[in-house]
Amino acid sequence: MQEVVVLGVGMHRFGKTGDAIVGEKSVTELCRHAVDMAMKDAGVSWKQVQAVSAASSRFSGGKGWGLNGNDIVEDFGCTGIPVYNLSAGCAAGGNAFNIGYSLVAGGIHDLVLVVGGEVMPKGMIQTSGVEDANDPEYLRQRCVGMPGPAFWATLARRRIFDYGTTEEQMAKVTVKARKCSESNPFARFQKAVSLDEVLASPYVSNPLRLFEICPVSNGAAAAVICSKEMARRFTSKPITVATSAVATIGFDDALPRSLAGPVPSGPSFHTEAKSAVMKAFERSGIGPRDISFTELQDNTCYYELAFPEEWGLCEPGEAERLLEAGETAPTGRMPINPSGGFVSFGEATTAMGVFQIAELTWQLRGQAGGRQVPDAKVGLAQTNGLGGNATAAILKR
Amino acid sequence: MNEIANTAALREPCVPGLFSEEEGARLHGARCNCCNTPYFPRVATCRNPSCDESRIVPCTFGGEGNLWSYSVADFPPPPPHRYDQPFVPYAIGVVDLDSGLRVVGQMVDPAEAMQVGARVRLVIEPIHHGDGKAFTSWKFKLL
Ligand SMILES: [Zn+2]
Repeated sequence: MQEVVVLGVGMHRFGKTGDAIVGEKSVTELCRHAVDMAMKDAGVSWKQVQAVSAASSRFSGGKGWGLNGNDIVEDFGCTGIPVYNLSAGCAAGGNAFNIGYSLVAGGIHDLVLVVGGEVMPKGMIQTSGVEDANDPEYLRQRCVGMPGPAFWATLARRRIFDYGTTEEQMAKVTVKARKCSESNPFARFQKAVSLDEVLASPYVSNPLRLFEICPVSNGAAAAVICSKEMARRFTSKPITVATSAVATIGFDDALPRSLAGPVPSGPSFHTEAKSAVMKAFERSGIGPRDISFTELQDNTCYYELAFPEEWGLCEPGEAERLLEAGETAPTGRMPINPSGGFVSFGEATTAMGVFQIAELTWQLRGQAGGRQVPDAKVGLAQTNGLGGNATAAILKR
Repeated sequence: MNEIANTAALREPCVPGLFSEEEGARLHGARCNCCNTPYFPRVATCRNPSCDESRIVPCTFGGEGNLWSYSVADFPPPPPHRYDQPFVPYAIGVVDLDSGLRVVGQMVDPAEAMQVGARVRLVIEPIHHGDGKAFTSWKFKLL
């Protein structure tokens, strides 16, 4: 095994189709910006890139086949290098990073470009559009009418029942996230919101409000990774990848992702996410107490409360108290999503796993400005996506 | 609308083969005779990794259960869902049937009436109307 480092990262600011940020830019244009920035940050040229690991989008680019990595190669120059297009729903960016990491760690390549970008269709994420009675996602939408927010809301409702979480506490997650995003030049929303503003936003799926779920966004992120050996030629202070892990859902998961499942014996709701994070802890020898900060997939505020408990970062039922005491803010003892999270960026699905690697890198280098976690030494990143996919990565300085 | 809904002959499942209502509301699923895992919809093989031998037999689920949690669709969901105009927000339940199946479904009663832990019963009810027909799905009714 070779030790793997992050040499450079880049991002295109997130936005929504037609706005002043992303306008009508194609996914290739968004990715070009992120990749250029990552290569400059790393100090490498396109010709030094030995392989591309790309998150494969179902929504945009990739010649309609999710061949997003091929678009990148075509755009930067057809050097003939291998391309890996990774599909894993919203976990695709994390999966792409994992494959890039594995290629370098395994000694197959020394320098790999990881990239994810997306131009999202408007509105709630829809199914494939194929009316196939064998597709559980189709059946769930057709027979029940239960899009993503309704799924998250049932989890949030159960938390309210189990722990007495209030709507104010749920809203305070957004207030905290948007305060972080004020000092993130890549965030789609760069303005703080008040508790009253969040509580005044309409329910999308009661108990979750508009400001408490992440909208769809356009954006892109890229990372240049290489072996520690090779990194010496470029930098004296590389960010080390302690580990990268991928997992899928367990049979005993407590929430039916399609229509039904057996009544579970255990209480774990996102076994794929927990499994990926536990694997990452185990492989790196880094435990929950060693983590300086976490970037987790907050499609909704609920996850910021539930995930840290599921992974042992804090005790079950403790998250609300930590939030209200300011412990999950960048300056607290358990910083969560100092970037502003998905709630401030919106989700450009396949970019998110790479977006987290970029934020971890900036934080660990001490380049995160007003959202900087003081003396950040170790960062944890986590994504999960349709199909029961999840990824986790731990980076350290 | 209600007249159409109440005429059995004009009721049609929104997706055929998943449920029936002739002898009471039933979901058409399966159970593994080896590990006792319930499935809905039907599966070809048992998916329980700790099951020694997949022995799938068709069975149906219905009757009563407990509302484990619920949410509300406050905005019209995207296609392929279909609904009557004007859109009326509806509650969605996650229900633990007494037969061991945890299943999602729309709730018949208004969102304000929901309570985690409530007793509910499986019913077949219209979800939208069109072409002179009432298209049905499974739902849950508070007892
Ligand atoms: Zn079995």
